[in-house]
Amino acid sequence: MIEWIQRRRGLIAGIVAAILFAVWASSQYEPRVLASILLSGLTLGALYFLVTSGLSLIFGLMDVLNFAHGTLFMIGAYIGFTLYANPRLLLNTLPFVLAFVAGWLLARWLPFSSLPAGHRRPLWVVAVLVGVFAVWGFELAPLATTALSSGGRVPTEQAQAPVGIFIARTLGLAITGLIAGAAFVIGSEHARRPANRDLAWPLGLLALALIIAPLRLSAEGWILALDSNTRFLLALVAGAGGGAALGGLMEWSLIRPLYSRPIYQVLVTLGLVFVGTELVKGIWGPGGYFMELPAWFSRRGPSCPSPNLIAWLQDNCASIDVLGRPFPSYRIFIIALGIAMFIGIAVLLRYTRLGMIIRAGVQDGEMVQALGINVRRVFTLVFALGAGLAALGGVAAAPFLGISPGLGQEFQLQAFIAVVIGGMGSFTGAAMGALLVGLARAFGDQMVLTGIQLPWMSEAMTFSPSIARASTVLIMALVLLLRPAGLFGKKE
Amino acid sequence: MSDVLLEVDAIHTFIGQFHILEGVSLKVRAGSITALLGRNGAGKTTTLRSIMGLNPPRSGSIRLAGEPINGRPAYEIAQLGVGYVPEHRAIFRDLTVEENLRLAERKRGDLAKRSDFIMALFPDLKRFYRHPGGKLSGGQQQMLAIARALVADNRLLLIDEPSEGLAPIIVEQIVAALRQMAAETTILLVEQNFAMAAQLADEYYILDDGRSVQHGRMADLVHDHATIDKYLGAG
Ligand SMILES: Nc1ncnc2c1ncn2[C@@H]1O[C@H](COP(=O)(O)OP(=O)(O)O)[C@@H](O)[C@H]1O
Ligand SMILES: [Mg+2]
Repeated sequence: MIEWIQRRRGLIAGIVAAILFAVWASSQYEPRVLASILLSGLTLGALYFLVTSGLSLIFGLMDVLNFAHGTLFMIGAYIGFTLYANPRLLLNTLPFVLAFVAGWLLARWLPFSSLPAGHRRPLWVVAVLVGVFAVWGFELAPLATTALSSGGRVPTEQAQAPVGIFIARTLGLAITGLIAGAAFVIGSEHARRPANRDLAWPLGLLALALIIAPLRLSAEGWILALDSNTRFLLALVAGAGGGAALGGLMEWSLIRPLYSRPIYQVLVTLGLVFVGTELVKGIWGPGGYFMELPAWFSRRGPSCPSPNLIAWLQDNCASIDVLGRPFPSYRIFIIALGIAMFIGIAVLLRYTRLGMIIRAGVQDGEMVQALGINVRRVFTLVFALGAGLAALGGVAAAPFLGISPGLGQEFQLQAFIAVVIGGMGSFTGAAMGALLVGLARAFGDQMVLTGIQLPWMSEAMTFSPSIARASTVLIMALVLLLRPAGLFGKKE
Repeated sequence: MSDVLLEVDAIHTFIGQFHILEGVSLKVRAGSITALLGRNGAGKTTTLRSIMGLNPPRSGSIRLAGEPINGRPAYEIAQLGVGYVPEHRAIFRDLTVEENLRLAERKRGDLAKRSDFIMALFPDLKRFYRHPGGKLSGGQQQMLAIARALVADNRLLLIDEPSEGLAPIIVEQIVAALRQMAAETTILLVEQNFAMAAQLADEYYILDDGRSVQHGRMADLVHDHATIDKYLGAG
């Protein structure tokens, strides 16, 4: 018994602390206030979780501290918002991306790998020149402006390049991809592996690019004519997918060459924070956007707020009654999204072969490799997965927090704190850390609002907002004192 | 039975800027057990890691059944049929025994096919099938590490100090298992326990200070006390 207590003293201390805190909180606040603080904390916790889960998986598996994770969160928000409110920008750039990738893949199919290695550098130069020529004069700003931003909305026909020129540019980028892909495969081993030579992908992508090109104008109308709920779901998918693609690309191009130089990896991810932020400012402008809530979460009227969750399924009110206080229904959605993702990843990790490889790789990537598993490919996949989750969080946060180039930074910092609290590399730890930080933020905000009343004081003690923000750091320091590896961590 | 399965020719391997292997050559015949001997720090582990592609040699060549494999990534070398049982076992501690074995499958059904053979060799693994690897005893972890290399169809097993830190009775079990395995595959065995290596191996190579210095038939080495004293120290 005594031994059991000694072994579990961390757990016991945690439970005792939680009970003490619960007793204190329920004496401090009325139940309905307490309920909405808890729900706010869960909302933040769910958003943090979407960031910390990827951060932690990426660190656990490949020892990379991805400082750009918050940036991916922010970019996810922009991509989702763009599809939701003004898909023009995506429709007018997607064919370029598709055409480039199609060209790149086509290069693997053609017998370029036998070209002499000396051709490599000139081919890169040619690729860059053709690429620059193909997009020269193509303007993004008019495509990105919306009615909400200061410039007002430019009519679509004016914003778009004429279809002939646009198709010429698309083909130009396909050629760029082909040349760049050729330069890439020279001297490589792709020739050895016929499995990589599937023609369906490159031709399919190119066809898709050429189909979208003339339909851009009408496609914009179709998307905007969809009801807001469908557009919202599409935005979640597009944001997560775009973020995953960017994350995979980032690992493949910038992180992968640097596994033997971890310091440079950290510097690269730090650099990407600035590059990403500036890029977003360049395309969407430095100001912020506000994303409207889809219809599911925005109805107001005599029957609102919905008396409970079941009633909300019918009436879609903007808020739901929680113990007599309205609480925004959208935040409940965020909580549900966080829980769904938690379960989804837990199932992936526990029951699939990929999950088994990830768990094994967190412990000993080299041994996984020695069993005949291409760990590098799993790295790319996990990086993409983590980035996709963060980007999904960005889209989900957009209607709640607004969209601005600085959106990711706050999340990045808090998510790091949460991951350290939970224990680097532990998935459960990432979830628990996110939850703790979310709750701490919610209680901190409440204390700033109303102060706290301690029995021996005549007046409530008030706090400045910066102390509320610092509360998470305080928790981190406490946890690290008791458990240097974090709550669930095993690695140092 | 006399064809060469693995041929290592004058490899030089660096760890960081340290020149660890300065010319190691050896041949392993198909169907045999070859012992790789030498003092602590002689470079035995590094040799196995070089073959496996975990510390690729900077020069020299490694051939598996005539095909050069140096410079290939470790996972490709494994897929060519090389199983690795590393020093200190490297069990996945959070994965169950079953998952440890399943991870070693290279195609579906590998484990099902080999399960009976493995469980007959190491009955303990069956008992702890759903327990985490980290909960096993040292000897059971060693058995799991060896079993993991038996799941896929491997032509060559690289086994690094399987007796390290184990009680004599467990070592005997492992010797018996290795002997049975040798009937089906080829083994390159690193072993500090000379008595154990002498029991098992057909041929031996001795490494000293990163070089292969002597080789021959194990039966001859057993009587060659001068060599044993010179290169294998107190062992
Ligand atoms: N990571 C490392 N950095 C520097 N030197 C190393 C490292 N690993 C091993 N060595 C050195 O390489 C030599 C050979 O090591 P090893 O192959 O492990 O020997 P053995 O397995 O024969 O005991 C030793 O002198 C050891 O000190
Ligand atoms: Mg060794």
